[in-house]
Amino acid sequence: MRLDDYIEDLEPDEEAKRRRLAKEKSYAITDHLEEFEQRFDDALSGDTLVGSTSPSIFVGRSNYPDIPIGLLSPVGDEDAADEYVTDGAWYQQGYGIDDVLQRRTGLLNSSKRANVDSPSIASRLTPSVHDTWDGFVGVQREVAIADRPVDLEIGLDDTPDLGLDAGTDVATPRGPRANARNAELRENPSVPKPVKKTLEDDDWQAQGAMTYLYRRGFDVYDINSILSAGALGETDQRRLVPTRWSITAVDDTVGQFLRGRIRNERGIDEVQVWANEYMGNRYWIVLAPGSWEFELVEMKAPGSIWNPNPEDDIWLQSASEGYEGRSSYVEETAGAYYAARLAVLEHLESIGRQAKCLVLREVSDDYWAPVGVWQVRESVRNAFDGEYGEAETFHDAVSQVATQLPVGYQRLQRKSELAAGLQSSLDAFSQPP
Amino acid sequence: MFKAIVSAETLTSALDSVSVLVDECKIHLEEDGLEIRAVDPANVGMVDLSLDAAAFESYEADGGLIGVDLSRLEDIAGMADSGQLIQLELDEETRKLHIQIDGLEYTLALIDPDSIRQEPDIPDLDLPAEVVLEGSDVNRSVTAADMVSDHIALGVDDAAEYFYVDAEGDTDDVHLELTQEDLIDLQVGPAHSLFSLDYLKDMNKAIPADAEVTLALGEEFPVKIYFGFAEGQGQVTYMLAPRIQSD
Repeated sequence: MRLDDYIEDLEPDEEAKRRRLAKEKSYAITDHLEEFEQRFDDALSGDTLVGSTSPSIFVGRSNYPDIPIGLLSPVGDEDAADEYVTDGAWYQQGYGIDDVLQRRTGLLNSSKRANVDSPSIASRLTPSVHDTWDGFVGVQREVAIADRPVDLEIGLDDTPDLGLDAGTDVATPRGPRANARNAELRENPSVPKPVKKTLEDDDWQAQGAMTYLYRRGFDVYDINSILSAGALGETDQRRLVPTRWSITAVDDTVGQFLRGRIRNERGIDEVQVWANEYMGNRYWIVLAPGSWEFELVEMKAPGSIWNPNPEDDIWLQSASEGYEGRSSYVEETAGAYYAARLAVLEHLESIGRQAKCLVLREVSDDYWAPVGVWQVRESVRNAFDGEYGEAETFHDAVSQVATQLPVGYQRLQRKSELAAGLQSSLDAFSQPP
Repeated sequence: MFKAIVSAETLTSALDSVSVLVDECKIHLEEDGLEIRAVDPANVGMVDLSLDAAAFESYEADGGLIGVDLSRLEDIAGMADSGQLIQLELDEETRKLHIQIDGLEYTLALIDPDSIRQEPDIPDLDLPAEVVLEGSDVNRSVTAADMVSDHIALGVDDAAEYFYVDAEGDTDDVHLELTQEDLIDLQVGPAHSLFSLDYLKDMNKAIPADAEVTLALGEEFPVKIYFGFAEGQGQVTYMLAPRIQSD
């Protein structure tokens, strides 16, 4: 389809209105919290949460390396525990911001501080978490590597601190918190074979183990949790890894693996534009023939979460890489960069091609609460479903897409490395003998 | 057969100008000197280097080919003070390079040349404009551009007869004009091309401040950067593919 027809056909985001309503009704969050409090009182026996189940964990990063580690449990809604796990299913089910916040306010984080590498005195000589399967840390690690929610009992030191911590550009928002005294398993967790394999191999570098799990069909959400629990890598290197860091580490590692897979593939044949819109975020993905190059440009509208002053200008951020990747950490766009890159590489690997790729992310003021970087990953992944628009050249495509953006083509060219110029290769200039 | 003695400074300059693009390279040990040609994996930047036999204190070779890990060889060369001499000798039997620096002996395992990326053919480019300037002016341009942007435009205004450098960033701009008087030489022709600063910064590192540098330019065409080192007995030509603004 021609790009101009494609742009015309894009449906206005019908969810936008509903979300705007939800925003006005954000007192709904208060209701969720009251509901939680009620369920919590029912579930508590003395100071112990009985009949609880935990589908996932949270590892904080405050006061590193003595960090808070937590078991997340949907109090009073144990049968639906699976639905509380952040992953691609939330996108498939069309979760809005409010749905995410509702899930997260219903999830109690029972946490305790632990050292990232020496949670028990016995292991002080060899500071590594790899054989810690007892105590709170042990239970938490069992939950992280299990493939379904694990039944347990959690002893609490105090009543939960009700509230909702906003998400960040990377992490999903967090709900009520309580200090845990201890936790005990009430069943033998089910651990998938490939995870057992990475767990038992004491001489396997973390990167290799992560890509192994990915190739065996584990999504980055599962791998993230396993990495967080210090359950892969060379044994003496195993540490608890804060959730935020492990999300980016897994996106980056799997992305590098996929980039290696397409390195010698042919370029795509035509310039393609793919679009998607989700939760007040609009994505344009421009793919062009040539060797791998990637850039994410984010445009944050005034009044959106990272650019709260409605009087301010659009806030632009960008980061890019060439054929051989980056040599430095991404300063702008952070976790979103690696999440979007992963999603694009998955698509290219599935068609066995390489390409030059510019991802444009427009954050509107409908995005009133950050829900975590999964939103970027899933939006870009799913952008490749359906049709795309074709353009003659990359710069034609970008200038046409720019008419739909809150910034003009010229400003975009100033901020974007790819919009300014695509890297050519020397063989394009070699004269045939 | 290969046996040579060279000053640490000369050897280091030669290695540095190649290692900005590649980690490993093939070195041709010709009768009249060393030759290295390499291109980075993305096929964006290329280097063509020759170091004449006259640049060495002594030099004997008969046309062999070796493959080296550049950072290893640079590390060893870095053990010498700049005035010190480095003695190199190839052991044909073991395929190892014996390196001696004032009593320090180092045996470097070589890499099979066949396992190193193929050497590039040098594109035959018709570049209409030529600018000759001092290495320090190249450095000034690249450093200033890097403050505002990740890319740099190099061009020649053929009507007003000057060479210019442009960098446009998110908010700030850098512009530099050098006229005939500021330059060593200028051959006017239509030229304007955009280049990645990542590459240009690396190439700039290898250009001595007092070297006479020749830039050959065209419109959306690669730039050819030529300069000498080791008192003119070493020559480096870089070629860098542009970032394309039009397609």
